[in-house]
Amino acid sequence: MTNFPELIRLFSSSGVEFIIIGGMAATAHGSARLTKDLDLVYRRTPENIARLVAALAPYSPYLRGAPPGLPFRWDETTIQRGLNFTLVTSLGALDLLGEVTGGGSYDDLLIDVVRLQLFGVECLCLGLERLIYVKRAAGRPKDFEAIAELEAILEERQRG
Amino acid sequence: MEKHKITLEPDPVIEAYKKDVDRTLIRENLKLTVEQRIEDLMRLQQFAEELQRAGRQAKPRR
Repeated sequence: MTNFPELIRLFSSSGVEFIIIGGMAATAHGSARLTKDLDLVYRRTPENIARLVAALAPYSPYLRGAPPGLPFRWDETTIQRGLNFTLVTSLGALDLLGEVTGGGSYDDLLIDVVRLQLFGVECLCLGLERLIYVKRAAGRPKDFEAIAELEAILEERQRG
Repeated sequence: MEKHKITLEPDPVIEAYKKDVDRTLIRENLKLTVEQRIEDLMRLQQFAEELQRAGRQAKPRR
């Protein structure tokens, strides 16, 4: 099970700049669908990457689904050279995204976030409309049901 | 902070899927706080993992 509260508290208390997206953002907005991982867009500045690496290092990050024993090093160079990482950690499944289709980078998404007070910390979550937009842009058939639910949530909210 | 308006044109495929969305679940969820929604999700995750474990250990009936 992914420990969402611990992961969010960990990154917030370490000063990591991130935006919650994906299934967890959908849950925050009212989705009843099950999601198993935490998807975060992280800011790709050298300072933020250093904070991210230091914060997660004690939790044994490793490439999810990869065979054991690969020479994967969780360090700043690895993050700088890559962009999006699907990880397993001792706190659960975590996707760290430098960019998302239809959304761009952390800085691009900042205009469409909501601030959440969550588990004792403040964090940023992608706004509902932008979340729908991003999921539509991904164009994955597996997301159709999720998009339909998110749009229904938007309609319910607008109805008040 | 959502500052600018995003226009979402209706998509016929999504509209077709929308007919099957259970809006009663959405309305119940919207009554909860964000923390309560995430706690519910974690309980559901735990239940799903327990079901998967039981499924793996299940033996066929003779």
